[in-house]
Amino acid sequence: MIERFIEKAKLAGAEVERTAGLDHALCAVKNFFKKNNIRNAIISPELKRRDPFQHEFFDLETGLSTGSLWVEAGLVAADYGIAETGSVVHFDRTDEEKNVWTLPDICICLLERTRIVPGLENISAEISGHLSQTEIPSPQVSLITGPSRTSDIESQLTIGVHGPSKLVILLLDETEGYVGRRGKTAKDFEAETNKHE
Amino acid sequence: MRKKGGRRKINPSLKAVLQNFSRSYLGKRRNVLQGYDFEALRTELAELKDRALDQNERLLARFEEKARAHGSHVLRARDGAEANRLILNICRNHGVQKVVKSKSMVSEETGLNDFLAEHGITARETDLGEWIVQLGAERPTHMVMPAIHLTRHDVAVLFSEKTGQKVPEEIPALVRIARREMRKEVFAAEAGLTGANALIAESGAIMVVTNEGNGRLVSTIPSVHIVLASIEKILPRVEDALLLLKLLPRNATGQTITSYVSFIAGPHKGPQYIVLLDNHRSELLADPQFREILRCIKCSACLNVCPVYQIIGGDEFSHVYMGGIGALLTAWIHGLKQAKRLAKVCLRCHRCEEYCPTKIRIADLITALAERINTETGTLLWKRFAFDGVMARPSVQKAAFGAARKARRLIGNKNGFSRSLPAWMKKYDRFRSLPAPAGKTFSTLFKTSFVSDVSENKEKKGSVSLFSGCLVEHFYPEIGMAAARVLAKLGYAVKPGPALCCGFPPSNAGFKKASGKAFAKLLEKTDVQGPVVTLCPTCTTMLAKKGPEVNDSARAKELAKQVKTFSQFIFENELESLSALMSARRRTRTVTYHDSCHHKNILKASGASRKLVEKALKSPILEMEEPDKCCGFAGSFSLDNPDISEALLADKLATIKKTGAEIIALDCPGCLLQIRGGCRSRGLDKRVAHTAEIIEDAICQKG
Repeated sequence: MIERFIEKAKLAGAEVERTAGLDHALCAVKNFFKKNNIRNAIISPELKRRDPFQHEFFDLETGLSTGSLWVEAGLVAADYGIAETGSVVHFDRTDEEKNVWTLPDICICLLERTRIVPGLENISAEISGHLSQTEIPSPQVSLITGPSRTSDIESQLTIGVHGPSKLVILLLDETEGYVGRRGKTAKDFEAETNKHE
Repeated sequence: MRKKGGRRKINPSLKAVLQNFSRSYLGKRRNVLQGYDFEALRTELAELKDRALDQNERLLARFEEKARAHGSHVLRARDGAEANRLILNICRNHGVQKVVKSKSMVSEETGLNDFLAEHGITARETDLGEWIVQLGAERPTHMVMPAIHLTRHDVAVLFSEKTGQKVPEEIPALVRIARREMRKEVFAAEAGLTGANALIAESGAIMVVTNEGNGRLVSTIPSVHIVLASIEKILPRVEDALLLLKLLPRNATGQTITSYVSFIAGPHKGPQYIVLLDNHRSELLADPQFREILRCIKCSACLNVCPVYQIIGGDEFSHVYMGGIGALLTAWIHGLKQAKRLAKVCLRCHRCEEYCPTKIRIADLITALAERINTETGTLLWKRFAFDGVMARPSVQKAAFGAARKARRLIGNKNGFSRSLPAWMKKYDRFRSLPAPAGKTFSTLFKTSFVSDVSENKEKKGSVSLFSGCLVEHFYPEIGMAAARVLAKLGYAVKPGPALCCGFPPSNAGFKKASGKAFAKLLEKTDVQGPVVTLCPTCTTMLAKKGPEVNDSARAKELAKQVKTFSQFIFENELESLSALMSARRRTRTVTYHDSCHHKNILKASGASRKLVEKALKSPILEMEEPDKCCGFAGSFSLDNPDISEALLADKLATIKKTGAEIIALDCPGCLLQIRGGCRSRGLDKRVAHTAEIIEDAICQKG
């Protein structure tokens, strides 16, 4: 399933990098910033509240600074990965969160390996549950698959028209329940399937 | 552009773009559907949409209730004008001067941009294609690819004007410029308008599908979010929207999923207004014959495979909505008069129905629409004369063909093609090679020269009626004779069916009454107790499918059960005995096969023909590109639209030529007329033959 996810995500134009635990992921992000000479990045509010990001990236804003339309990179965490389509899924709570995914030129997304599920139908109940909440202001769910793309000029595929031109997925092999919302994990789905069988 | 009263100007570079797009689309679609049962999925989606339509009002009420609980404002608009007014009021109440939009075909339907402009509010598109089209003050020509008709050169010119700087003609650079300009516009706007690919009743949420991410920006950056959606977009649950999502991108662009799918429930930083547009959809909902149009999910697959769309493009083949489905939607939304022009250019080839993700019977509904148009807006005199006055009256029809046969020496040349034609017809290659009527009809030939063949038979398998159809009866009796001889050799007692029109041409042109009359006469004279074998897939469609619709007698149902095309009949009953009959010394010949529209898309019988042809010629078929694309004959279509017909024929001949095959096999005398005539006028030395003739050759050849 993990291999399928990686294959499909790459097919959609995403870059996938496997990392061990959080420390590795953090290193990978820093290296990426350095290598691509990124000086202007934003971070999703949910990640910013957590260690080690809270300390390591204390200077990153969670949204665009006033008067600027542009930002080079955004650091986010996904709630699920979908093997069938290579998508990452995020249960948005605010627009601020959503924009960290969309506005930057490059989007770097953390995803725990254990949060990869076979298909969208596996999380339909959770999507439905999230959208039905009235106690949070604007429940939204985003499925993001590869970079922003268009084929509107001469049917030629071109990336980065509105959203990021690069989506980098950092797969966390060793953490569990650190990033992403606390919902079902791949293990739960396996257990469910076994029970039905 | 369409020229009044003259030939339609076909733009060859547009045609090439659309045809390349279609080919690449078909390849990508095939890949992403691998491992999926498209038929099962689309049946499930069609049933889901039907259920949602059944409870449309209840689901909308639930959606409203749930959306309000999230804090959204839900408004209903009876028609386009009301929707526009509501949106204008929202803008005024919130001091909105600039609106940015992600793609919404519904706002094209209501003419929202022009309306807002008249009231001093700027509406800017943000889907790249629509943004380009808007810069050029044009209209979208495709539902998914709005600027498909423009080249990078056209776009560079527009961008240079917009930015006041010389812009390079490179696509990535053009996209970067658009990104910069559009981002500025999004941040400057006070309101963002999106459509919705689905409204989800259980949670009051909308689903928006985009590749560019503009839907996300437009719905989050400006403070007011307006959703404009038509009422048939409602679905009960999230899992239903996910089923739609499984088919929509795969079928629309051949993608597994689009880059962005957003489910949005409730307003974000500012207010959210959801405008639900009816615009005659309730009337459509109450129309049992046509309501399935509302199952449409706007994937555009029907356009992507439409042979006519690929030739004339969406500027010509649209009002607001394009193609065949566009003709149907237009009839309700913008009126029959607008729909008439679109319905007229539909080939009724049924190819789109093979690809529709909700199984809408587009071609059949356009026939039904043609009927309404004829009744309500009147029709051309020559059509009324031809269908009501001639085809529905066997005696008149017989006299007309008889007269033509007598004049054969005057109008025909020695090769059986017409030589004197009115001047306007001479402009078209395909008319220059129209066949002259044969010297003797099939019925006469059969009576005078068939007897000796039958007597050879020892073992009798019962009798078969051979229904020739008008083209074989009057123009190609040799096909009828070949089929009769094969059937006799196989041990059947062959008797010719009535030499009458089956009723299809009037039915197809929307003359249901004339069609019913013709069919009833045919039914009366046909022996329905035994098998009825036909030589034309179109007649078979009438006898097997449409007949029982215009005639509800038990006899019509019996005939529908008995009728088979020649290939179907042989393939199902006589495959083994045929192998024994075929001459061992028959020659191997290279052959390609053209799928006639009705044979493949309605009767699903071209697989059988291919196998028979391969067996007869001892050689695998050299497949042409898109063998199932119409050759351009399509009955009276070729008289209504000679230029499109000619372009389709030219494409067909080019794909045939590429195969290098000596023989073109097919099963429809109409396609035979078109392709044989085309080969002749372009000096292409090929044999164009009906499957029956090919089989007869294989039996009789002495080597």
